[in-house]
Amino acid sequence: MKTTLHFQDADTFYEQLLDAHTGLDREQSELLNARLILLLANQIGNREVLAACIEAAKQLPD
Amino acid sequence: MNTAWRETAHTNGYEFTQGSGYALPEYPFVAPPELKSGKTQRHQVVIIGAGITGLTMACCLAKLGVPAVLLDEDNTVGVKGASSRGICYTQKSLEIFQRLGVYERIAAKGIQWSVGRTFAGQDEVYSFDLRQQSNFDLSAQPPFINIQQFYIEGYLVERIYGLGHVDLRWKSRVTGFKQHNGYATLTVETPSGSYQLEAGHVIDASGSHTPFHGWTGATMTSRRGDDRWCIADVRFKNHPPKERHTWIEAPFNGNRSVWQHLMADDVWRIDYQMEPHADPEYVSREDVVRERLRQQFGPEVEADAEIVWVGSYAYRSQCLDQLRIGSVFFMGDTAKIVSPFGARGGNSGVADADNLAWKLAAVLKGRAPASLLDSYHEERFEAAAQNVQVTNRTARFLRPADGMERTFRTAAISLARQYPFARPLINTGRMAMANSYTHSSICDRTGGLSVQNVGFRWADNSRGTVNDLLEWADGDLLVLVFGDMSAAASQRLRQLAGQAPVRCVQVLGPDGRAQAIEHVRDPQGHLQGACHVFGHAWALVRPDSYLAATGESVDADLVQAIGQALGLSS
Repeated sequence: MKTTLHFQDADTFYEQLLDAHTGLDREQSELLNARLILLLANQIGNREVLAACIEAAKQLPD
Repeated sequence: MNTAWRETAHTNGYEFTQGSGYALPEYPFVAPPELKSGKTQRHQVVIIGAGITGLTMACCLAKLGVPAVLLDEDNTVGVKGASSRGICYTQKSLEIFQRLGVYERIAAKGIQWSVGRTFAGQDEVYSFDLRQQSNFDLSAQPPFINIQQFYIEGYLVERIYGLGHVDLRWKSRVTGFKQHNGYATLTVETPSGSYQLEAGHVIDASGSHTPFHGWTGATMTSRRGDDRWCIADVRFKNHPPKERHTWIEAPFNGNRSVWQHLMADDVWRIDYQMEPHADPEYVSREDVVRERLRQQFGPEVEADAEIVWVGSYAYRSQCLDQLRIGSVFFMGDTAKIVSPFGARGGNSGVADADNLAWKLAAVLKGRAPASLLDSYHEERFEAAAQNVQVTNRTARFLRPADGMERTFRTAAISLARQYPFARPLINTGRMAMANSYTHSSICDRTGGLSVQNVGFRWADNSRGTVNDLLEWADGDLLVLVFGDMSAAASQRLRQLAGQAPVRCVQVLGPDGRAQAIEHVRDPQGHLQGACHVFGHAWALVRPDSYLAATGESVDADLVQAIGQALGLSS
């Protein structure tokens, strides 16, 4: 799992992500997120990396 | 507390409620010698339960010439008065049935299918054609045959009567059990009174209601949910296409799942997912069933349809921690219970039986030490745990928890409609296959894989299959040596065959020169492919058509692998 910067353009991605949710209700937003996670996960593919990402997402900082 | 949750029996058996049913064969009760003589006898093998697992076990032993007693509390096959259970038998099971001599009847009666379609709403999400998948096409048996379970059970009973060696005792209910050192005592109740018998090995194939879990103190992991289903087995005048259809979200069933599967006798199994906690009595009432059929097929098709059988069920998953406790071996539904998705119940019971039978035969004939039997748990527990895991994943897809689990399912279905990558996320059941053994003390790391029943040519150019070779080996291990052999290797093989319960065969390409008396030809390399080896190699094949090990040269490794496969070393 990469923990250093890999984005070509982090700000643009972040903006696109927020824009995609604009105007959606909670249910629509949840569905969009779920679709996005599945699409992105398939880009990664690697089982160890995916498992590490899920684990890392679960660990909130203190 | 008297909620619907508690009322529904998590039996994984289907209780008969409606329909015209099937006519089932009945077998005679014959008073056993123990009742006449009043003497307790010791039997080396006693099998409890004449379901598909117990009968497969009995038939395997009969084929190997091992005497056994089979006790069944009923005098028929299937579920009395109803008798619908499993319907789908996999290639591995069919290969086993071929070895047992009942495959031809199953193939003649059953229905072959290869096209499956999955729908969500009005749309087809994806489809498959198993004939296009190369991993199935080399076996002499098809990917699947659909047939009512009781037909297979009936064929096995007739076959066992024909083979002899196994004493089929109907109307014999086991009511007591006591474990001793090296054997067990069973109390059996019959119409002519009760008696006791001693068993060196008890095979519990009595199903999900087994009393042996309690008697032996078996521990297990168990899980149950709120998912409820109701089956209607229906005979149509105008039948649907001969394909498996699956709806994840069926508009005609409240957007819940529906399975549409074909069977013998022009009967179709329609399996409806009901609302969570649905009342089983209500959902299986004939007028309620007919209303569902009307919604799905239209009023005209429904009016002409004969309802053969209706059964509602709630499944649980369960896996014993130990498949052997003392002299008792658990197999089929007594070893593990899974949801029906993927046909992993009956098929894995058949594989359980095939796994233990040859080992028991080898031990009882003095060809292997008793420790060989320990590998039954190692191998079939791995299979059971895997089948439980795979079916639990399907169950979770089909009955997602409200909230995020359902959101992810909606996401997966919508993506699957758009992009091929998401189709494998749609989990309507992962069809059973021959489980691999990766943790077995009697398999080398190169072994543990099933060998398909592929074809080859005998020395006289007539056609043969792997099963013919296994039949010829008659319960011994089979050493297949591919390609040329050195004189030293031939010599070593002859010695091995004289010392150990193995039979050796040289496998030649289209024009190699035979160096062994026993040789066959593999002109297209199918046999070699089925054994998962390339070039000059040997494969050690077990009587259950699993690889014990493979290697390159005929040397000490092969000798070591034979010893390991017989439980002589670890």
